[in-house]
Amino acid sequence: MADTHKQWLEKLEAESRAKQELFMNDIAAKLRHPRMTQPPQHPYRGAPDFWKAFEWPEEERIKEFTDNFLSVGGHVARLQTMDEAKEYIVQKAQEMSAKYVVRQNQPELDALDLEEALTDSQVSVWNTDPEQYWRARAAEADFGIVIADHAVAYTGSVTVLSAENKGRSVSLLPTVLIIIIPVERLKTRLGEVLETFDQAGRDQLPAGIHFISGPSRSSDIENDLTIGVHGPGIVYALLVG
Amino acid sequence: MGAGSKTEATVKARAELALNDEFLRKAVRFTTERLRNGKKKASEEHGNWDEWRERGKQIRLHTIAHLDYYLNLFVNNARANGVHVHFANTGEEAVKLTLDIAEHANAKSVVKSKSMVTEELHLNHALESIGVEAVETDLGEYIIQLAGEMPSHIVIPAIHKNRYQIAELLSKEAGYTLPPDTTALAGFVRKKLREKFLEADIGMTGCNFAIAETGSMVLFENEGNARMVSTVPKTQITLMGMERIIPSWEDLEVMATLLPRSATGQKLTMYMSGITGPRRSEDADGPDEMHIIIVDNGRSLQLGDPEFQELLNCIRCGACLNACPVYRHIGGHAYGSTYSGPIGAVLTPSLNKNIAEWDDIANASSLCGACYEACPVKIPLHDMLVYLRRRKVESGNGNKLESIGMQGFATVMGNSSRLGGMLRLGKLGQKLVVRSGVIKTKLGPLKGWNTYRVTPSLPKESFRDRWDTLDQELKQGLKQMEPSMQQRMEELVKKRELEQKEGKGGHGHG
Repeated sequence: MADTHKQWLEKLEAESRAKQELFMNDIAAKLRHPRMTQPPQHPYRGAPDFWKAFEWPEEERIKEFTDNFLSVGGHVARLQTMDEAKEYIVQKAQEMSAKYVVRQNQPELDALDLEEALTDSQVSVWNTDPEQYWRARAAEADFGIVIADHAVAYTGSVTVLSAENKGRSVSLLPTVLIIIIPVERLKTRLGEVLETFDQAGRDQLPAGIHFISGPSRSSDIENDLTIGVHGPGIVYALLVG
Repeated sequence: MGAGSKTEATVKARAELALNDEFLRKAVRFTTERLRNGKKKASEEHGNWDEWRERGKQIRLHTIAHLDYYLNLFVNNARANGVHVHFANTGEEAVKLTLDIAEHANAKSVVKSKSMVTEELHLNHALESIGVEAVETDLGEYIIQLAGEMPSHIVIPAIHKNRYQIAELLSKEAGYTLPPDTTALAGFVRKKLREKFLEADIGMTGCNFAIAETGSMVLFENEGNARMVSTVPKTQITLMGMERIIPSWEDLEVMATLLPRSATGQKLTMYMSGITGPRRSEDADGPDEMHIIIVDNGRSLQLGDPEFQELLNCIRCGACLNACPVYRHIGGHAYGSTYSGPIGAVLTPSLNKNIAEWDDIANASSLCGACYEACPVKIPLHDMLVYLRRRKVESGNGNKLESIGMQGFATVMGNSSRLGGMLRLGKLGQKLVVRSGVIKTKLGPLKGWNTYRVTPSLPKESFRDRWDTLDQELKQGLKQMEPSMQQRMEELVKKRELEQKEGKGGHGHG
């Protein structure tokens, strides 16, 4: 079966490669130029220049991020240390009687030792046991805990990147999402984060890059805002540092 | 698909149905107003909106003008990321590829996030024909799927349903009675669709943008269902229009600035995801196998067509729908196709290459230009509507009565004394039918016209009396026309004249 599937994929790829040439040739013919194989000059790449020069000082970034995140129904806490972050999480978990907690497998989170502190919760650490079906662990979780890779003040967004130790499901499937943002990762503009992906290049990008700007929402029923339709309905952004 | 949505043959008939539905009309007006105000506020708050629009337009123009290069680059990079890329010239080919993948995955069910392309292909129906359950997971799309209808708005697809109707639909699905309460209804859908996400074999998405330089695909959404669909099932299929390409992540900043603000007035949608290939072997989630089907289905017909190529710049925000006075009155279903509003009026006949059948939707517009003003990438939709009407008339599919009327009009207008006579006659005749300054009669020569409009009575000071002043104002106005538009119009006129000289028809589609 495995072989047949592989053969079928190979057959599809051969067909696709043949068709690719026809497809591109047809486009070039319709555009009335010979097939382009060299990168064209792109004088309008990215945001306008005046925008690229725009940057807020740190306190302004924190204020704007906070305002934006609150305005869409998220929660924000400004904390000085990771110890304070730990306290905050433990308190919220007790308040809401969180039974299951799933967290990313990162050293900063290891250091919080939530497994010890959350006595009434079962804490799972992402992808530490190959026998587990991790998507289901995340789906049953009351709390998901992640660390932001980047954050953007102007849009009130947090960026999380997937990896072996950082599941996409952890920021998606739990009912409550807690995002720890080290303040030095908080930028002014979206472009400051996006350009890092251009610089990294194709083969350095993770499978999933996710910008999260608040709780899941919909206005599909009579324009009435509903929070928590598919993704987490309660989102805490903890700005630390 | 589309039960009850294409029963009436013409836009006029469908619009009459829509105009009879009081709730629909109010809902459409309320929603479009909300979105339009949201956009206005968001774009003003952001500032320099026209510079951003111009930048968005330039990026789209540049990409489409070099589409063979950028699409090829995207394909090669996506393949290097481990994606299986396929090409479909037609909707049928895209459906065939999808079914082939579904069969090889032994799929029993497919969960879908919103995708206009799959609407275009009527894919759900095709999947069901081979015994695969296709579940729409966007809240609005799920509702209209249960109702067996088509989306009536590109951003808010179930705009035409009230919560009592929705409660009835969902209660049937639940097997018990749900209250007509938004939170309760959404809560039921969350629970129901959670099960669907976790048991589905295939997740299917559309694609807002595809980044050529890294082979990544980008999705904008608020609910999280597109993330679900692209994270949980084993196999992911993405259907993308061949024109969705942008060169780089840097360019995405411009699109991310324009799209959410134009669509819903948001600074950014709650989720924006860039997906670069299937899960890495060490990852514990994400699809094992990822397919991207690149769909032409009539899009390439616009390439090299000076009047319509800019259609491919569209980023599917729906701002032109919310701005359009006609859409705001008749709603999406009246257009009778996947895409509604001004963009639908142009896109549908363009993709279908069958002007005669679809062109009546080109007449569902007042040519007021609000769509162009609203468009974040400055597509001259109102110009295109005029081109479409012209092509329709040239292809011999004009309205016969209108043609006769126009000939009469020409006869009268071609001779000033004849016109003077007619006007005097009219001034006399209208005394019988004018009520409070307008003519509402549906009798005699104005019958057809006045069914939809109110004819103003002839003024005491006639148009011809005011012509000199107007002529001057008009010339002034032309001078103030935006240089790029003027240039485009001049080029078009020149080209048309040249073609006429060479004896080519030149206006056939494609």
